[in-house]
Amino acid sequence: MYSAFVEYAVSQGVPLGTVTLILILPVVVMIIAFFRQVVGIKAFGIYTPALIIFAFLAIKAEAGSFWDGIRYGTAIFVTVIAVGTITRIFLKQFRLLYLPRVAIVISIVALSTLLMLILGGAYQRTGLASVSIFPILIMITLVEKFVAVQIEKGKKVAIFLSLETLFISIVGYSIASWSLLIIYLQRYPWLVFVAVLINILLGKWTGLRLLEFIRFKKLIKNV
Amino acid sequence: MFEIYQKGKTILGMNSRNLRFIRPNNLKGAKRLADNKLKSKRLLKKNGIPVPGLIAKIRTRQDLDNFNFSSLPNSFVLKPNMGLGGEGILVIYGKKKNQENVWVKADRSAVAEDDLRNQIRNILDGSFSRTNIPDIAFFEERVKLSKIFKPYSYKGIPDIRVIVYNNVPVMAMLRLSTKGSEGKANLQLGGIGCGIDIASGTTTSAVLGKSKMVDCIPGTRLSLSGIRIPYWQEILELAVKSQQVSGLGFLGADIAIDRDLGPVFLELNARPGLSIQIANTEGLLTRLNRVEGLKVKSAKHGVKLAKNLFGGEIEEEVEEISGRRVIRAVEKIKIIGKKGIEKEIEAKIDTGAYSTSIDEDLARELGFSNVIDYFEKIEKPKKIKRGEGIEIIKKMRKKHLGKIKDLFDMSVVYSSHGNTIRPKIKLKYIMDKEKIISKANVVARGDLEYPVIVGRRDLKKFLIEV
Repeated sequence: MYSAFVEYAVSQGVPLGTVTLILILPVVVMIIAFFRQVVGIKAFGIYTPALIIFAFLAIKAEAGSFWDGIRYGTAIFVTVIAVGTITRIFLKQFRLLYLPRVAIVISIVALSTLLMLILGGAYQRTGLASVSIFPILIMITLVEKFVAVQIEKGKKVAIFLSLETLFISIVGYSIASWSLLIIYLQRYPWLVFVAVLINILLGKWTGLRLLEFIRFKKLIKNV
Repeated sequence: MFEIYQKGKTILGMNSRNLRFIRPNNLKGAKRLADNKLKSKRLLKKNGIPVPGLIAKIRTRQDLDNFNFSSLPNSFVLKPNMGLGGEGILVIYGKKKNQENVWVKADRSAVAEDDLRNQIRNILDGSFSRTNIPDIAFFEERVKLSKIFKPYSYKGIPDIRVIVYNNVPVMAMLRLSTKGSEGKANLQLGGIGCGIDIASGTTTSAVLGKSKMVDCIPGTRLSLSGIRIPYWQEILELAVKSQQVSGLGFLGADIAIDRDLGPVFLELNARPGLSIQIANTEGLLTRLNRVEGLKVKSAKHGVKLAKNLFGGEIEEEVEEISGRRVIRAVEKIKIIGKKGIEKEIEAKIDTGAYSTSIDEDLARELGFSNVIDYFEKIEKPKKIKRGEGIEIIKKMRKKHLGKIKDLFDMSVVYSSHGNTIRPKIKLKYIMDKEKIISKANVVARGDLEYPVIVGRRDLKKFLIEV
């Protein structure tokens, strides 16, 4: 069923899950690039949404179902952002320098995430409690990005970008969980080069982004 | 659908800005220059472009420890050398009296030496620079607000953004700070951008923030179109010159107007924003395509080309159609007083008022003291109800008109502070080359900004660009 390449990788001791995830990565980043260049959704760059998609996938692998990935992933995401914001507002009065301040924010976010997991366990949400450390760590590091954007561009933009990130993550996660795609990637691993090809086209795309049509709506009417 | 797509082709979007204009035209070195405010300041100054004076640089914590804050002037601006989009800039308007090293910001809040130190530490740590690399802080002289922008600006200095491509100033906008933008004029921080007609330097339409079209300054009825920008030719030439000096092929030049010095160059911008198109209600891409490949000989030539290519003759058009002159909301007038006394002042044009009025002190300077003194002495009814005005005036006219020279008439001025009787004088003045003989109320305008308000009665020959 698998391509010779995948068979070989597995026979050398690389877990099949790992091979699949790595093959999915080019597709995921292509989707994020597409959202930026053609749709105009910025999110927190390409790195953060990609990591979050993989955190979602990891949660799915552990908790079981597709919906658990979205549910628990979103829960952790929202907690991290909310606690991060509150902590930052609280810390404002102390006038701390940037890195120590972010360090405190990350610490408190980490502790609250732990609290959430315990609560999840207490309320029989075992799926939540059993989420491994990898996706949680990824989500927590998101806070640094969030705080940085908050300082640079203000709260509104930061929250907006977080929502965009969440949106892209859910879409990307859905596509990455698509069994047909996974089967095809395992059967024809060279398909990742199609993603690269699409990236080249995206990289040469000079047309207006979809959201820019909305931003310049009045202008278009006036032309 | 297809039509929208076609029209979209006149607009410059992020993708084409980055790929077609920034990438090939703004090479790494030039971009680095634009991101380094101190370096670009030095280069511009060397090439004869006026910039705000540098007061002091702080490169390290040691510099900060050794810095004597008492040596700072009363008003200045603290900036991060590589700050982005106006972030991290602190504008200081004055020093507090009786207090050692305490300054005041635009919103009158106090800034102590410790606040400045903290801000500088944050700058040095790179809190405001691209990708948080350590930065340099510097103090520079504050640009003083020019009179013409006073009514429009909320606690900040307006500046003019000019997009220059191929040595032609392609599009321009006036940026005003608002309540929401905390005295900063950057659109992404909530400032206002007014599109400017390249040929005349007159504002046309306006955008608030990134994409909201507005007619007036929010919360006021002060119109944003028809502001005539002084030193227009000079500003455009400066913008083109800065392109030649900096090597930025696709440039956003930020220029402010200082009350005393005239145009001063604020900043080179290697990645100018796109909202300027909304402010001008016109796409940038068509304009950029039109100047691509043109042979431009000099800054003057580039400006001339721009004026011919992109100038909409709005004013001439209006004047031709209506036969009336176009004036601004605040206009210079020359008053001709008694004994040949002439005074040039700025008058507020107020279509909300019927009659013109003049401040007592100014009337005295013009030689009308006799009327004012006479009027102070005579008996006047204290309280006037709305209906009684006409009767009272009739009586007073009988009694006083002709008793003293120059007392032309009297009228009741209704206001929220109570209704009073004021003398009227015949006032001759020249506005936009038009001689006007007005019957002006003499009022105590005291500390108000404009000593003369020109009312509707005198404005029949004019259109007001409010």
